[in-house]
Amino acid sequence: MNRKGPLMSPGIARLLVIIALLALWEVGARLYADPLFLCPPSQAVRALPHILTDPKILNAIRITVYEVLTAFVMAVICGMAIGLAVGLNGFTKQSILPVILLLYATPQATILPLFILSFGIGPAAKIAFGFSHGIFPVIVTVVAGVQNLKPSLLTAAKSMGASRWQIFTTIIFPHMIPSFFTGMRLGMTAVLLGVLLAELYVSTAGIGFFTRLFAESFSPPDLFALISVLATIAVVLNEGCRTAERRFSRWHTA
Amino acid sequence: MNRTSTVIKVEGVSQAFGAEGDPRRVVALESATLDIPRGELLSLIGPSGCGKSTLLNIIGGLATPTTGRVTIDGVEVKGPSPQKVAYVFQENTLFPWRTVIDNVKLGMAFQGVSKSEREGRARESLEAVGMQDFANHFPGQLSGGMKQRVQLARALGLQTEIVLMDEPFAALDEQTRMVLGEDLSVLLARTGKTIIFVTHSLVEAVFLADRVAVLTARPGKIKKIINVEEPHPRKSNFMTSAKLGAMRNELYELLHDEIRKTMTLRAEVGGDK
Ligand SMILES: Nc1ncnc2c1ncn2[C@@H]1O[C@H](COP(=O)(O)OP(=O)(O)O)[C@@H](O)[C@H]1O
Ligand SMILES: [Mg+2]
Repeated sequence: MNRKGPLMSPGIARLLVIIALLALWEVGARLYADPLFLCPPSQAVRALPHILTDPKILNAIRITVYEVLTAFVMAVICGMAIGLAVGLNGFTKQSILPVILLLYATPQATILPLFILSFGIGPAAKIAFGFSHGIFPVIVTVVAGVQNLKPSLLTAAKSMGASRWQIFTTIIFPHMIPSFFTGMRLGMTAVLLGVLLAELYVSTAGIGFFTRLFAESFSPPDLFALISVLATIAVVLNEGCRTAERRFSRWHTA
Repeated sequence: MNRTSTVIKVEGVSQAFGAEGDPRRVVALESATLDIPRGELLSLIGPSGCGKSTLLNIIGGLATPTTGRVTIDGVEVKGPSPQKVAYVFQENTLFPWRTVIDNVKLGMAFQGVSKSEREGRARESLEAVGMQDFANHFPGQLSGGMKQRVQLARALGLQTEIVLMDEPFAALDEQTRMVLGEDLSVLLARTGKTIIFVTHSLVEAVFLADRVAVLTARPGKIKKIINVEEPHPRKSNFMTSAKLGAMRNELYELLHDEIRKTMTLRAEVGGDK
């Protein structure tokens, strides 16, 4: 038996760290913080029921989730198609990939006003901005995923008479699944960032709108309660991707 | 069909990589000519880089020769012919995301075997190589020798008349090679397939083959073909016999000069720079 005993599993240690951080925040906020800007976590928790029952806020959460999921699905589908088209061909990889990397590296917040101008202040602009954040990590990981495929596997398949379609579905696709899921996770985080940035910048709905409203109206308990809801959504989406990843890439750990 | 009829005909095959005049141009093969009768196991040996894999790939239709042609049963090879030719590669080319049996079945799916037939055939060929107990393992869970057995099973499952093997045991330790070599000899004696077996082990070449073809240093030409007259399946005492020893020595003599040539060639190239 481990001398530290079964009590110190990584999960328990993690929980202790989180509790310690919350306690630090609680004490710090009570002793030093201006209640107009920061509240202890206990107050945020107390604000949760009212946040989660306010129909306007519930609607905002629905809108944000809708925007995030739409942008995410679009980013994954388009990112995968572009990633495959670019990554599977030596010529496009050399000519187009650098352009994509350049766009990826450019901070997109600077062109947010352009998105608002073209798509208006409704959900379309948020979806577009989330999409433009999410598509790049998907493209880049798909390209990387098809790149390190052993050529000998393709040769073997061709020698056995595999068609192009069979090569795609039975070799290229399963090969890139692990990196594809990494791309999905990165893409999800990026989409969330894009959507919220757009909502913060200009909007009349969505979580971003309310976080700004609560911040500007000096009600930190509401603000932090809403942020905790947002964090929960992010964790749930991320875990969803990870579960799918584990299901599809069992052989990786096998 | 007649056992002595020619199945594979290699007629003046040359292969060069790179354009003419390009200083990097490599002539890998020069007018190789070879007739392989039905049911023969031919070993191919030669210095490393002399064009053995190139020749095998041309016969298998994975590469197109610069000049010359290969025919199988009188038909010119113009691309892979999965119905007639199966491959065993040196490298592990099993699909890591599929179990052993699914790998064997996938080969058949590529080849066009109907779904209902695959399971039974896959089990049979796994049994033939002694891997039936590992049907549901993933390749990553197997040793190198076991992976090669599975690759062999995948090739056998295709039930082709011809099997091309490119240094299938090169990456294995000597004991594993020995056992695999003996098993292969037993297995192949049963199937009556036509086989070309590339190896860099002189003993392995003699132990398995009906004939051993020796290639010259690059550009590869057929230097000599030696007959090994010994019934199949070969017993392990053939491995230690004086007959095998003598043939091994003859091959060594033939190869030695060729290998020297490639070494001095390399030294000259190195000296130029
Ligand atoms: N696709 C290729 N492009 C350029 N050179 C090649 C290519 N394939 C093989 N060669 C060269 O041809 C020669 C013969 O290669 P190969 O047939 O693999 O030799 P081996 O007898 O070791 O199997 C080597 O010098 C190799 O560098
Ligand atoms: Mg080779």
